Amino acid sequence: MSPGLRGFVALAAEAFRDGLRRRFTFAVALFLLVAGLGAESCTDLGSASFSLNQRSIPPEVLAGLVAPLLLGWQALAVLVITGVVAADHLARPLVEGSAALWLARPISRDVFAAARLAGALGVGLGAGALLLGTSAGLVVARQHLPAAPALAAGLATALGALAVAALAMAASLVLGRSAVLVLVLGGVPLVALANSVTLVGQLVHPDAELGGLLGAVDRYGPPLGTAIVAALAPWNPHVDAAGTLGPALARLAVWAAGGLLLLALAFRRTELE
Amino acid sequence: MIALELAGATKRYGRRPALVGVDLAVPAGAALGLLGANGAGKTTALRLLLGFARPTRGAVRLRGRDPYEPAARRSVGYLPERLRLPGVMTLHHFLHLHGRLAGLGAGDLQREIDAVAETTGVRERLGERLDSLSKGLAQRAGFAAALLGRPELLVLDEPTSGLDPLGVRDARDWALAARARGATLLISSHVLSEVERVCDHVVILREGRVAAAGGLEQLLQPGETLEDAFVRAVRG
Repeated sequence: MSPGLRGFVALAAEAFRDGLRRRFTFAVALFLLVAGLGAESCTDLGSASFSLNQRSIPPEVLAGLVAPLLLGWQALAVLVITGVVAADHLARPLVEGSAALWLARPISRDVFAAARLAGALGVGLGAGALLLGTSAGLVVARQHLPAAPALAAGLATALGALAVAALAMAASLVLGRSAVLVLVLGGVPLVALANSVTLVGQLVHPDAELGGLLGAVDRYGPPLGTAIVAALAPWNPHVDAAGTLGPALARLAVWAAGGLLLLALAFRRTELE
Repeated sequence: MIALELAGATKRYGRRPALVGVDLAVPAGAALGLLGANGAGKTTALRLLLGFARPTRGAVRLRGRDPYEPAARRSVGYLPERLRLPGVMTLHHFLHLHGRLAGLGAGDLQREIDAVAETTGVRERLGERLDSLSKGLAQRAGFAAALLGRPELLVLDEPTSGLDPLGVRDARDWALAARARGATLLISSHVLSEVERVCDHVVILREGRVAAAGGLEQLLQPGETLEDAFVRAVRG
């Protein structure tokens, strides 16, 4: 193992432990418990029959509607959790001064930043794997839906979490924690809203385009919601999202790469106390 | 071989100069004391030398390399002035992580940890959390981390801060032992008597500029102490 990789592994493991020690992690654990119970309830449609305007809704159609909604909002929650953890996971050791102790060793700035990012992602995606894995398992077992869309949604969530965490971490090098939290807590739902409104509009009119701020966010922002919804769309036989997932994942990957580059450049310019 | 070098190094924070055209070269194996009143630029010089900040102008070399390069910081032990230990870690874990980052192999790591913990008098505290240590013990823990892996270059910023008289004497012994095995020492301190006992060269900074520099025997006039020479250099 090269010295850089050995240093990364040691620092990333410490960053993950550091993430688990945060008070916020207790809130995440509580959220996981409540969301898990919600998933248990939402996926258990039992033998009940459902109707809308006196028309009976087949259970598989209902499952195809409920399951994407359930996993979709859970995936967005995972993005927010990861962003919140990342909001000061690099900035805090800089402010506290412990980063200087580690960076006096033969460790590059890039390796240190990547290790802190990996620690934040470990917490966020660990929570995500637990929550989405449980929900997807319940949906697949109880509603007999295929597992592939859930796996694709997991990939979209992981890419989205990488983009959100890298951007939040880069922002934390120039902004205070509160400002970064506002960006994460406001930005992720805003992007998800823009993506959702566009997707719903396109269901009604395939050529519909959203205008204004939301339209710009949907067209140029990271397609956090689009990728997740497109991944889960095959569960619903009435939604045709074929051709949406690939481009959305590609655009998300570009945003993630851009976030990583921004983080690396910002941290190389950061001066340590 | 030059271990540390500042060549015309200037560092400004906004419009305020912290260092102005400082030239400084420390040969390998030498022990240099970096002195100056508060705000003279000592810590800024150390930050440049360790790659924590870039000079506004001029060059900085650590073993002939840009200190931003990780390879330049191989075998460097550093004790900062304001030592902020990650409180939730145990001392053993802290030293273990330092050892891994210093490149110590699994076989040597525990032996090295035991050795520096014994030397610095913290062996009984290895299992304790860092935030439970007193200030003096925390300083000893910082010393243990700096000495881990027998570094070739030891950078100590106010090393006796928080230490009792016994600790001050111990710290001097650790520095002298490092010097005896050939390590290069750079010590920034206000405790001139300790610098005089450990270092053979001194640089005195005043308002970011070199006010005096040289070997102790060159700087000190007959009958003078380092304190006298310091006051003469700083007051002009």
